Amino acid sequence: MNGWNGRILEIDLTTQTHKSYPLDMEMAKQFIGGRGLGVRLLWDMVGPEVDPLSPENVLIFTNGPLTATGYQTSNRFSVSTKSPLTGTVLDANSGGYWGMQFKKTGFDVLIVRGKAQKPIWIEIKNSEITFHDASELWGMRVFELTEKLGQDNNKRNVLCIGPAGENLSRLAAIMNDRERAMARGGPGAVMGSKNLKAIVVEGTERPEIMDQERFKFLLYETRKLLAASPLTSQALPEFGTIMLMNIMNNVGALATRNHQQTQFEGAEAISGETLSETYLVKNAACWACPIGCTRISKTEKVEGEGPEFESAWAFGAQCGIDDLAAIIEANSLCNDLGLDTISAGSTIACAMELSEKGYLDSDLRFGQADALARCVEDMAYRRDLGAELTEGSLRLATKYGHPELSMTAKGMEMPAYDPRGLQGQGLLYATSNRGGCHMRGNMIGLEVLGLPKLIDRFQVQGKSSFVILNQNSNAAIDSLVVCKFTNMGVADEYFARILGAVTGVQYDTGDLVKTGERVWNLERLYNNREGFTSKDDSLPPRLLTEAPTDGPSKGWVSQLEPMLKEYYRSRGWDQNGVPTPKKLAELGLENLVDPSRTLEKIA
Amino acid sequence: MIDQRIYEMFREIGQSLYTHTMISSHGGNLSIRLGDRVVIKRRGAMLGCLKPHDLIETRLDKNDSGVALASTELLVHRTVYLNTPALAICHCHPRTAIAYSLSRDEIVPIDNEASYLLKKVPVIYEEFASGTPQMANKVAEVLKNYKCIMLRGHGSFSTGQTLDEAFFWSSTLEEACQIMLFTKQVGEPFIEYRTNSENYGKF
Repeated sequence: MNGWNGRILEIDLTTQTHKSYPLDMEMAKQFIGGRGLGVRLLWDMVGPEVDPLSPENVLIFTNGPLTATGYQTSNRFSVSTKSPLTGTVLDANSGGYWGMQFKKTGFDVLIVRGKAQKPIWIEIKNSEITFHDASELWGMRVFELTEKLGQDNNKRNVLCIGPAGENLSRLAAIMNDRERAMARGGPGAVMGSKNLKAIVVEGTERPEIMDQERFKFLLYETRKLLAASPLTSQALPEFGTIMLMNIMNNVGALATRNHQQTQFEGAEAISGETLSETYLVKNAACWACPIGCTRISKTEKVEGEGPEFESAWAFGAQCGIDDLAAIIEANSLCNDLGLDTISAGSTIACAMELSEKGYLDSDLRFGQADALARCVEDMAYRRDLGAELTEGSLRLATKYGHPELSMTAKGMEMPAYDPRGLQGQGLLYATSNRGGCHMRGNMIGLEVLGLPKLIDRFQVQGKSSFVILNQNSNAAIDSLVVCKFTNMGVADEYFARILGAVTGVQYDTGDLVKTGERVWNLERLYNNREGFTSKDDSLPPRLLTEAPTDGPSKGWVSQLEPMLKEYYRSRGWDQNGVPTPKKLAELGLENLVDPSRTLEKIA
Repeated sequence: MIDQRIYEMFREIGQSLYTHTMISSHGGNLSIRLGDRVVIKRRGAMLGCLKPHDLIETRLDKNDSGVALASTELLVHRTVYLNTPALAICHCHPRTAIAYSLSRDEIVPIDNEASYLLKKVPVIYEEFASGTPQMANKVAEVLKNYKCIMLRGHGSFSTGQTLDEAFFWSSTLEEACQIMLFTKQVGEPFIEYRTNSENYGKF
């Protein structure tokens, strides 16, 4: 077996039993691994009748054929489940070391079913599986727990939830290697609902590589390309992802104060440049990563990873806060409690607007830096207003009669990039299968960074083609699984070649992108089956009707409707956004749809 | 109605192709994919000075009236779009690369930039070269694995997400071929400076 281990481990928490069985290799070739394999398995296991927080939901942890091979950034892994935040299909992926270590246990997939009667944690040492009582660990925060369970980067790795997951926060993350997060969509709550506190892995098996000589050649060439790209060799190592703060502010696409403005006057104070000059201790990297975008920051109160751009934006510009120390501390607290920083920050911003407008009786106001830590703590423990914030901004704003003030797509809080200044990004958010997310396709690359070349960010006609290609391409990268930042220096064709060298299965660039398209369409079918329709491919009304009154995006709103029509047509979907039988046949998905139910009924 | 921004993109890249002597007065063509549509240069139009009416929009998967006006290479463009992830295609006649294509089956650059970016460019040949299904299938097949290819004695086809990117690959190829030519003229022994360059031919 090359690349893939060829084995699935399935654990039933209800009975505390486990079994392993062969991975269907035809399925693996079709969906590769990671996100692709995850959604394919989820399709069979979790139907619309399953509540995301019930024992019938599953957690599917997957690595990919490149994982742990030593190819640049081959450290990542993925989790698939039904989201308790959105009710959509969900995958989240993370870097660090855990994914590499999990692959070395000899499994490609770990499926966790059922619910333990009392808190437990699981230890996987190659094929040896042990269930441990976690009663005394329940309530423990992430940093302390990770250390207690013996985190040792290259040998033994800890994945766990914090109090937020235990308390079923819909914004709860699954954390690994102390401060890496599978954050979006609330997978931590699914783990908490199963009374599963942690999974610790230790492995000694190395994946086999089919063509070592070609692998080494491509490894070398990838290193050269990453070194040649100023983004991967200079900007990301020196400033981290937070370098985007000033860039996005300058183009007038930095969502500010719950998307009321598109530029933030305090952006410089919370920028990558300021972080480097003030609280940055050093940079760090995940396993087998030559880029090193991770920030290690230190304030008087905390020292640790981050903040990433999105976290700094969520607690910063989105809340009207320019106090970088308070942002670093809120970010660290989220990591320790196991919360998604983007949704946490944006939900606080929503509460600030509701309060300022008199819809919510609270003292929250934009710019209140000292409110951040209190809100984050309260969210994790469901205390006071935190019990409502931890349900996410859409449930919060709906409760107080103003759902339009929730800056979400399909119920998930959108990240920093304001779609009024980036037309493609708006279409990306609206059509994202897991809700408002920037990791489903890199339109910032095309519309702002010029990767591979700059396109007009206000152009509407033809934008759907770029969005579709990038959605497909990103789904493929998430299935390998490697870091998307690699793609800033290395084109998709390299991924196809390295996949062929590792597995012996020849993929050309088109095959790889087609795999991504297959994944995207299956995710869409999943959401259709859950009851999502074209009406859910939308953006908050503010972004469609309220144009910025100044700055480089002045006068622009998202032109979603014409882009969406073009998008459906270009995807080969019908006008209701349902994949046509012809498209499903083209992707080899036609047999997955129950013939007794027409696609129209599914929609 | 084709967006003014799209027209300007065609005009700028077309002008660059002409001023860089990558095409003759009426040679070459450019296209982009807009979902299930293709926008391509009008047959006989001059890429160096395109007017808005020189862009033709037609269907990707079958003919409509647009084919009466579109470039003779439309079939090749369509076939490439249907078989690869390309969103833009640049076809031009880079002279030095054409000269090299007459004597070899692949062009392996020796300069640093093209060695990084292209590794190698396959040269293909088809007797019925212009606008035929045979040529369209052959071009599309090779472009599945390469961003830029040469048609022997004819010119290059290169793809990308944008016209800008597609032009970039052909331009990089032509520069690489000019450097190879100059190196030959200099006539001094070549000093290999690239680790693994022996593998470029297998890329």
